[in-house]
Parts: sequence; structure tokens; C-alpha cells
Amino acid sequence: MTHEMNLAVNGTTYPLTVDVSRNLLSVLREEVGLTGTKQGCDDCECGACMVLVDGQPVNSCSYLAVQAGGREVTTIEGLGTADDMHPIQAKMLEAGGVQCGFCTPGMIMSAQALLSDNPNPSGEEIRIGLSGNLCRCTGYQKILQAITEAAVEIR
Amino acid sequence: MANATEQKPAPRFVRADGPDKVTGSGRYVADMSLTGMLHAKFRYAGVAHATIDKIDTSAAETIPGVVSVLTAADVPDVIYSPVVPDRRLFAQDVVRFEGEIIAAVAATTPEIAQQAVDAIVFEYTERPVVDDLEAAMAPDAPLVHEDWESYAVTGDTPRDRNVATFSSIAKGDADAGMAEADMVVKGRYVADGCHAAPIEPRGVLAQWEGTKVTIWTSTQVPFDARNGVCETLGLASNHVRIIVPHLGGGFGGKCGFHFEAHIAALARDARRPVKLVFSREEEFIAPDRRRESMIVDLETGLRSDGTIVARRGWVAVENGAYTADAAFFPQLAAMHVAGPYKMDNVKIDASLVYTNRQPSGSVRAPTAPQACWACESHTDELARALDMDPVEFRKKNAIDTGDTGAVGQVYDEIGMQECIEAATSAIDYGKDLPENEAIGVAIGWWPSFPGPSGAFVRLDADGLGQIVTGAQECGTGAVMTLRQLAADELGMDPEDFQIIYQDTGVGPYDTGATGSQTLLNNGRAVVDAAQQIAEQLRVHAAEQLEAAAGDIVLVDGAAHVAGSPDRSIPIPALAEVAAEGEQLLGKGSGTPPAYPDIPGMNCVGDQGVAAWAAPQFSCHAVHVRLDPDTGVTRVLNVSCAHDSGTIINPIAAHGQVEGGVMMGIGQALTEGTQYSDDGRQLNAALLEYKLQTFADLPTITTAFIQTPTTEAGPRGAKGLAEAPNVPTAAAIANGIAKLVGQPVRKLPMTAERVWEASQ
Ligand code: FES
Ligand code: FES
Repeated sequence: MTHEMNLAVNGTTYPLTVDVSRNLLSVLREEVGLTGTKQGCDDCECGACMVLVDGQPVNSCSYLAVQAGGREVTTIEGLGTADDMHPIQAKMLEAGGVQCGFCTPGMIMSAQALLSDNPNPSGEEIRIGLSGNLCRCTGYQKILQAITEAAVEIR
Repeated sequence: MANATEQKPAPRFVRADGPDKVTGSGRYVADMSLTGMLHAKFRYAGVAHATIDKIDTSAAETIPGVVSVLTAADVPDVIYSPVVPDRRLFAQDVVRFEGEIIAAVAATTPEIAQQAVDAIVFEYTERPVVDDLEAAMAPDAPLVHEDWESYAVTGDTPRDRNVATFSSIAKGDADAGMAEADMVVKGRYVADGCHAAPIEPRGVLAQWEGTKVTIWTSTQVPFDARNGVCETLGLASNHVRIIVPHLGGGFGGKCGFHFEAHIAALARDARRPVKLVFSREEEFIAPDRRRESMIVDLETGLRSDGTIVARRGWVAVENGAYTADAAFFPQLAAMHVAGPYKMDNVKIDASLVYTNRQPSGSVRAPTAPQACWACESHTDELARALDMDPVEFRKKNAIDTGDTGAVGQVYDEIGMQECIEAATSAIDYGKDLPENEAIGVAIGWWPSFPGPSGAFVRLDADGLGQIVTGAQECGTGAVMTLRQLAADELGMDPEDFQIIYQDTGVGPYDTGATGSQTLLNNGRAVVDAAQQIAEQLRVHAAEQLEAAAGDIVLVDGAAHVAGSPDRSIPIPALAEVAAEGEQLLGKGSGTPPAYPDIPGMNCVGDQGVAAWAAPQFSCHAVHVRLDPDTGVTRVLNVSCAHDSGTIINPIAAHGQVEGGVMMGIGQALTEGTQYSDDGRQLNAALLEYKLQTFADLPTITTAFIQTPTTEAGPRGAKGLAEAPNVPTAAAIANGIAKLVGQPVRKLPMTAERVWEASQ
């Protein structure tokens, strides 16, 4: 069964016809054409697909695209650009929080959700807040540093 | 104390691929699409060991949207794999593990491809499943490969039935040494297999134009992948181009040649581009690169003064159903079971054993974490038997500069002892701790792998640089560091360079992101190429500044006459002049550092991994807390010290250690593949196979012992990416053993196993 909808992503509205069973991740990647959001697992296990829906973090692999109708979706492409990075993006690079980069978009979106909710998180709050985002490369420590520094810069 | 080499502090620079990765604009294979692209799915055996009675694809072929269905009958009959060729692209006659591919489909959507795969009729007769390493070695065990004797094996490779390769390391007379010992300690250690588990599930996309194919693939080793496609499909090397867009991690799991040929064959048959993207479950089950399970028996003779007089060992390393690149694993495991210790009498026998499980292959420091875990658990048992502190025991017995190791190699300047000192003092080893906490210590080692490698460097008319290399970046930052090397040779800024890499059609040969070799070998190539340009610049500058070329120095983006800083010309001005004539092009390769020669080395089935070039050393000291009621271990603090020679890019180097430590903690506590009785993986998902999360992060500190090493990479750099994965699990084991009163003899040391050991 298909459904006609308007999907608002990063400030642009896309008219789409989608099967009601499709998840937001595949619609973002294949219909909207924004591939910054990654797929790392089969079912809500890795956090690589994290996006914001009305500012709230969701694993887009486990969120139906039709549920996002009438809401504002923010993906990594909506955060900052290479010339004008969001502080989390800039600090992730400076601190060495990026290696292969596959977890990075999801990690940054989770961090963004955390910092909008809690602008001055403790180390423990960052660890818990990001525990749904797996990173196999960095060992997390430099990401912790990056987010701590980004929080200072944003405040 | 080894001298830290004099270095100006390395400049901090942002990795060249960084902006792509933090903005989501960087492309990985799964992000790519081509016009007319079809989608591939594989039909897997789904049974661990069986005779194929029938594969009928006729129903699948008639499904609308299905364009191509291939089986073994549709590709050349080629048996491949290095050293022990024992594998085909598609199963023929027999399937030997659940993830073996029996057919491949290309269709207009992934859903239709899956429907077609499901419609393939596969009938088979089950055979006995070989899944126990010891039982597999019995003379009457069922064979995984009935044709084993017919395989065209290369080199000195003793084999017998289910033993795919056998190697030993030996020195002195272990039996006589053991007879002299004042006491003998024995132990058995059993490690489960586990997975590389990169966060990116792999993808492959192939497109033909005429007789040439371009394949975008998430491989760590583009040239290996190219050679595999050429070999299995009968193609010339210059007709196959492998391009890796960004690679989402590998850890060895994406080494070797995997599914590129299947997808190329589908694309050729379909006359359309074809793309494959793995699910997480497939990423667990299908690749022939997972970390091998292992059984280690150790027996060590001690003198009452605390010296080791002899060691005997027996090691069984799981090969799985096919020999990917694992032929050298037994000898490498034997080296780690001996460890970086002085001992005059050694005999360790090691076998690579076929089973009906997923094939093993080079996952980050293959064999080392498990073998080190066995060796170092045993080492703490030796210290306990002597009533000696385990760190003191290591200081007494570990090798130092000038000492001789387990196969007779004499080590030049090395930082083993300094690593023990640095790691244990940073964590304040010996301090008072609550009764459910302890600090475990382990030491490790790992070779560097010199090899051929090439790179081009050029400066364009505006003075900006381009490095063109066949090297592969899997996230470690090794390729990113090449900018720094080129910039330093030319007195420029790393940010002045961009890099074209991981494309076999463009860059010269490099082995790839394997063996921690990129900086060691490709770094040498880039320095060589950049030096050629530096020489060209000096000649141009000498002309402009009316000085001798030998007096020109390149610094801060300009050429100066030495001693007269005001006589200078900016490099872009020289580049502009050069662009009108002989261009600024360097092609580098350089001579790989030599492997050591060990006169009279006495190893059977030598696979070339007993004599180690530029060996790396490490010590990890880990503070653990144990919940005695549940057996749950929590890692609080990890203090690491590494001798990987000169550190060129400190941010990347620390990142390697921290990532390796977290992987090691996972391997120590949670990561182990579980199998059903019929040989199928039970935990092929990230909820069941638990990686360490952010919440598990301890404090990790790292000291680099920068030992000067002559036969190494640029400026004395050794490898680094694998070494940090070696001793973490072992150090955690020794912390747990202190609290439990005995070692947990199984890896991973899950809460259940720790609790059982404590009862
Ligand atoms: S892809 Fe959504 S959590 Fe892994
Ligand atoms: S940087 Fe590779 S998974 Fe996080």
C-alpha cells in the first residue's frame, strides 16, 4: 500500500509516494537522495542511522517514513557544511573523533540531540547519551573529548 | 631507557577525508548508484556440510525483474586462495559452511532479487559436521576436503587430512630443558572465534564497458581484490579496475578477495551495473575473514631463581571450511604462545585445522590476542608458582635490547622493558585497591611487514600538491599521514596536499590496509617521490637565487639559501616556472627494509613469520572491578605503553591504541561466536554479539616508547594499527584471575564463565 506525503528534510519539503511499510532511512537515502545517514545493522542495534525528528533523536531504520509526515527531519546534511561546520563537526575532526567515518553522522546527530537537551553534560551523561551509537574504530575516548569541547563552544 | 628520537612536535592537521566524513558528503559503496543499476543477492548453503544433489534455478529465472542467475556452471572452474588453493566462487558438489554461496541473482530491486534467491531449489544430503578442533585431527575424523591431497599447495607446507597447514617454532632442546627444570607448570586455554565487525556492512558495485570492468568495493586490499577477479574470471590485470570510495572500517574483515568477482560476473551477464550491499547478518556469516578459535596447551619449566628454562606448546588454530589467508597462522600463533621472553629451549607445534565453519582470516593482529591471552595467563601462573610478583617476573624474563628470542632472533634496540615500566608506573601498579578490584598486566609483540609499495607526488603550477598512491585508507589515518611526510620533505604544509588513493587504475601497487604496513611502506614511497621533487625545486631555486643547489633548503613554503634567510623564493613561484618545462613529478618506491636473517633457524613448515622485521612491543596494565555475585567485569582504567618506533602522527597513533583497546575489551569479555550443534552461527546480530559501547569506555592512557629503529619505515616508524589489539584481553584476564584465584580458561571471559571459575 502506498501513501502520498510531504516529507520535510533539512528545511526542504519533498512530495513523495512511499510504501507504508518503508522505513525513514531507506526513503531518505533512496528517494530524497541524502546518503549521509548510514545503515550499519538490520534492526536498531548500531545508531549509524540516527536522525532528528522534530529535534528528537530516532533510529531512522526503525521509524516508518509515513510517521515523519508533518514533522521536520534533520539529517547530518542539515547540520553544517564543509566550509561552515557545526561545532560538533569541527571538534570531532580536531580531536581525532573520526576514523573510518561510518558511525560519524549518527554519532554527531546523537550528540546534537544530547547537547540541545543538556548543554552542559558530564562525561558520564555523554557516555550514557551516546551508548546507542556503536563505533568500532576510535574507542570513543576522542569522541568524548570532541563532544565535551563542542559543548563548551556552543554554550 | 631507550632514547626518544629528537622530533619537532608534529603539526596538528585535520585529516583530508575529514570534512567528507563529518558532513555526510563522503561516499561509501552503499551510497553509490549508477544508471540502470540492478541489485544482487546471494543464495547461501544454509547448511554446514552437505553433498549437493540438485540446484534448480528455473523458477527463479522466470520471476519478472530477474535479469541474471549464476551458479558454478556459469563461471570458469578455478580453485583459488593463496598457499592452499581450496575454494571456488560458487559451491560445486559439496558445501562446507553455512555461508557458502551456491547461486547469485541480479534483479531490478533488492526485494525481487531476494524473492528469486528464495525460489532457487537446493536439495542436498547432509554430511557429518566437523566442528571440534581436536576431534578433527583424529585419524578417522570425517574430512572437510576429501580432495585435500590434490590441492596445488605452494611452499614448504606440511599437511595431513584436516590439518591444512602445520608449522613449528623450535630452539635448543625442549625435552632436555624440561628435565632440568625445578618446577613445571601446565595449562590449557581455549578461545572462541570472533568477528572484525566493522560498522559498515560491505558493498560491491560493478560496471562493464566493453571488455573492461570497474568495481567499486569496500575492500581493504584493492590490488588483492583485483588479482582475485582476474584469477577467477580469467581477465587481464589492466582490464579490471578496483576503486574503493570511503571505506567504513575493516579490521582485517575486509582483507582478501571476497565478492567482487561474483558481482562482476553478474554485471557481465546482465549487461547492466550490479550492486550488492550486505545486511549485518550476512556481514557476520559470509566473509572468509573472522578471528579464528584456538586451543593452546602450554608447559613451562622454571628454575627456582625465576628463569624460564624450557617451553613446550601445542596449538590448534581453527581454519574453518576454506584456507583464506590463514596458512601462516599456526606459526604466528606459536610465536605469540612463546611470547617476548628469553628461553633457551622451545618447541611449539601448531596446526591449522579445517572445520565446517566460516573460514578464518586476517582480523587485526591475527592469532595474537588469543595466543597472547594464553601465554600471558600462563605467565601469571608461572609467577604464582614461584610466589613472585607477575610484573617482576616479566621484567626478569622479557627480552631487552641485545637479547635472543624464541627462535634465535637477536633484537637490536627495542623498548620492551621500557614499555613494562611505563605502563605499570602510569597506573601506579601495586597501590592498595578495594578487594573486588585488581590490576592485571600483560605484554605483547607484533612484527612489522616490509614490502613493495609505490606512490606518485606532483606539484602543479600553483604550487599545490597531489599525492597519487595505491595505498588504502581504512580509517586508521595512515594514508592521511602521507600528506605530512610529503609536506615535511618539501618544506610545505600538509594542508597543501590532497590525496588520490585506493584506485588500482591510478595509483602504483601497494599491499593495502593490512599488516599495519601503510606508513612503513607507502610512507617510504611518498618520501622517495617527494625527495625527487625537492631536488627539482632546489635546482630551480639555485638558478633563481644564484647559489649552489646543495645549499638550498626548503622550509616554510619557500626555498632559501642556507645561512641567508633573506635570499629566498616561494615554492609556488618555482612551481610556476617548472610548469613551463620539466614538470614537478616524483615517482617513489624505495627499497623495503630487510627481514632479519636467523642463521640455523630450526622451524618446520616455515611460513615466514618467525623472523620479525622491526618488531613492535607493548604492555597494557588494566584496572578491573569484578562483581562477585554476577561475574560481571568492569574495566576502569587501561594504561598502555607501545614501542612502535617513531610516532609521526600522534592523534592518529593515540586513536589506534584507544580503538584497539576497546576491541580488546570486547574480545576479553563479550565477543565470541556461538554455534549450534549443526554448525550455524547463533549470534549473528549486534544485539547478540556485543561490541563495547560508549557506556563501557574506561580511561585509556598511552605512552609511546619511541625506540630508534634502523630497518623500519620513514624516520624509524614501525607499524601500529594491530599492536594495540594484542595484550588487552590478556591483561584483563590477569586482573580477573587475581580476583577469582585462578585463570578463566575460556575466552571471552563472559560473566557466566567468570562466575563459574569463582565457585
Ligand atoms: S541502522 Fe539503524 S540502528 Fe543500525
Ligand atoms: S569511526 Fe569507524 S566506526 Fe566510528
